[in-house]
Amino acid sequence: MATAQLPSGKLQRWAKSPFFFNTVAHLLRIEREQARNLGELLEGLRACSDGSIFQHTFRTLQEHHFIREGFSNDFAHWAFEACNEIGLAERLASLDIREFTSIPTLRERIIAIIENYLKANSRARERAAMEPFYFCASDTIIIPTTVVARNLQEFADGLEKVSLNSIHYHFIDARLRLKLNSNDFSVWLDKEMDLGPLADRLNRIDIYTSTLQDVRRQIIRDIQFAM
Amino acid sequence: MKDQIQEKAAASATKEAHAATGTEALRERRKHPRISETPPVPPPPPKLDDYVPIIGQAYIDELRYLAQRLRGKSLKMVNSTSVGGGVAEILNQLIPLMNELEIPTKWEVITGGNDFFEVTKGFHNALHGGEYNLSKDAKEIFLLYNEQNRQRMEFTEDIVVIHDPQPAGLIASKQNTRGKWIWRCHIDLSNPHPDVWGFLRPMVDQYDAAIFSSPSFARQLSIPQYLFYPCIDALSEKNKELDESYLNKVCDDFGIDRKRPIVTQISRFDRLKDPVGVIQAYKLAKKYVDCQLVLAGGGASDDPEGAVVLKEAQDEAGSDPDIIILNLPPWSALEINALQRVSTIVIQKSIKEGFGLTVAEALWKKKPVIAGAVGGIPTQVIHKLTGVLVHSVEGTAYQIRYLLTHPEFAAGLGRNGYEHVKENFLITSNVRRWLLLFQILLGTAHPSGPEQT
Repeated sequence: MATAQLPSGKLQRWAKSPFFFNTVAHLLRIEREQARNLGELLEGLRACSDGSIFQHTFRTLQEHHFIREGFSNDFAHWAFEACNEIGLAERLASLDIREFTSIPTLRERIIAIIENYLKANSRARERAAMEPFYFCASDTIIIPTTVVARNLQEFADGLEKVSLNSIHYHFIDARLRLKLNSNDFSVWLDKEMDLGPLADRLNRIDIYTSTLQDVRRQIIRDIQFAM
Repeated sequence: MKDQIQEKAAASATKEAHAATGTEALRERRKHPRISETPPVPPPPPKLDDYVPIIGQAYIDELRYLAQRLRGKSLKMVNSTSVGGGVAEILNQLIPLMNELEIPTKWEVITGGNDFFEVTKGFHNALHGGEYNLSKDAKEIFLLYNEQNRQRMEFTEDIVVIHDPQPAGLIASKQNTRGKWIWRCHIDLSNPHPDVWGFLRPMVDQYDAAIFSSPSFARQLSIPQYLFYPCIDALSEKNKELDESYLNKVCDDFGIDRKRPIVTQISRFDRLKDPVGVIQAYKLAKKYVDCQLVLAGGGASDDPEGAVVLKEAQDEAGSDPDIIILNLPPWSALEINALQRVSTIVIQKSIKEGFGLTVAEALWKKKPVIAGAVGGIPTQVIHKLTGVLVHSVEGTAYQIRYLLTHPEFAAGLGRNGYEHVKENFLITSNVRRWLLLFQILLGTAHPSGPEQT
């Protein structure tokens, strides 16, 4: 993937502060909670660690980043494949993790969706799933890279160099750290490069209909287009 | 004009004759496949940089960074066999990479008499849910050999990894050592014999951490449990890229027609892999679509039950000239690689399965996979996204028909499957998991929560 040279002009300005690319590595822990029906899933969701909620929503999206359609989160997948509760699966799959800036809020939303479904479908609570749901959690270690960007050209070059783990960390996981409906790239472009419209455009890239590699390409294209 | 017609007719007749001869030759070859009788010399293990074209420089840099934090730390792996079996294969791949990352890694193998290995084989089957009478003698033999090995071995390393139940008793040395101890369980403990598990569990609880291949294989323990998927090596003989000429040679050796669809199952001749069910599914599908079926595997030469299952498969195949059954020797990695690569569809219709890494091998070759929804297979095959899961002969037959008549959908499954393996089931992913776990246990890195900066 070659990056076009950016022309001289206002977009070649230097950032007030550079962008340091980090990346991230995750180790999967097997947790105690298991669910053999939707009632037990609810109990597990109330008791499990924040790391579990993160694993089965944000992280699983990263693990399946190559799928353009049909994969949203592990809870939706299990409701569909193991419980055959299509209506519930559809509601859970519609969760967009970009709308959540905290794990507790995301947890509450998932619980609310399942509770509402079970109010209308009380028999589903005890109906045995074909396979249990096993709660896992992520141990996350942040890794600095040597890639640094001080202007747009270096930023585009950096985006090409770093791994997809890094793209996910800055573009998707970031909103939990920032507590904003945004991402590290957009924040830097807006605050450090005074490129608000470009920052907004990046933040609108659809992560559910694109692979992470597509996301990387789209960000680079948007930077080039901004020229 | 008449001459031209005659020439054309003659040419056509010759072509048909050649085609008939070719088909005859293929059929003849199927009766007497050319199977290599001597093992090839194994290639040297790959270096980390050899993986750059596969996973990218950035991922290799990340591994080096993680390893840097472990400089000066040492590691020991202990298992019960140096050759044969999945664990030895994994260690043969892993240890050179760890040493290249400057984490000195030793591999030691426990020793024992026939009585010890008879007991551990019994334990193995019992831990998989089989019937077993745990006698006092069996317990004593297990503990005696573990104690003998413990006296013989030194544990001066920072990390000691014990693989599977056979050497689990070495944990008795932990109290005299400074290292962290990890138990890596490669087997399915979801339904263990209570007496055998009751005997082993107090040992397992003394470790600092346990690793399982699937959450469904794990038990409730008092120690942290981690999930390491089994992995394949993209550069091994079984998975590396092969020249087209070699693929043609293998097809020629085995009488496979590359111009027609090829449906393949690679597995031991074992009832749990359901080779007879695969043939039945092929026969149902064959009513509607043209294809050849290749069943290739080993285990029929050194295992009496394997020979029986091979015979059952041959009987089920009958005289169908498009069913090619190959009983291959253990050194057939390249041939298996080639068979997977020339296949239009790969099947793994297991009835019971461990993790089922042949699925990952096929996905790595971008093949659409039809697989039984058992063991670790659903982790690899996400239904209709990275392959299709089946529960019956009829379902398998339907999916063969569907995938052969919808090649674009099949290709999409193959592409997704390849990415799934690249992300989760490659040896490099496992190196990363080991490095992370060592750091967490040794306290050289502290995991952060999802909302921490």
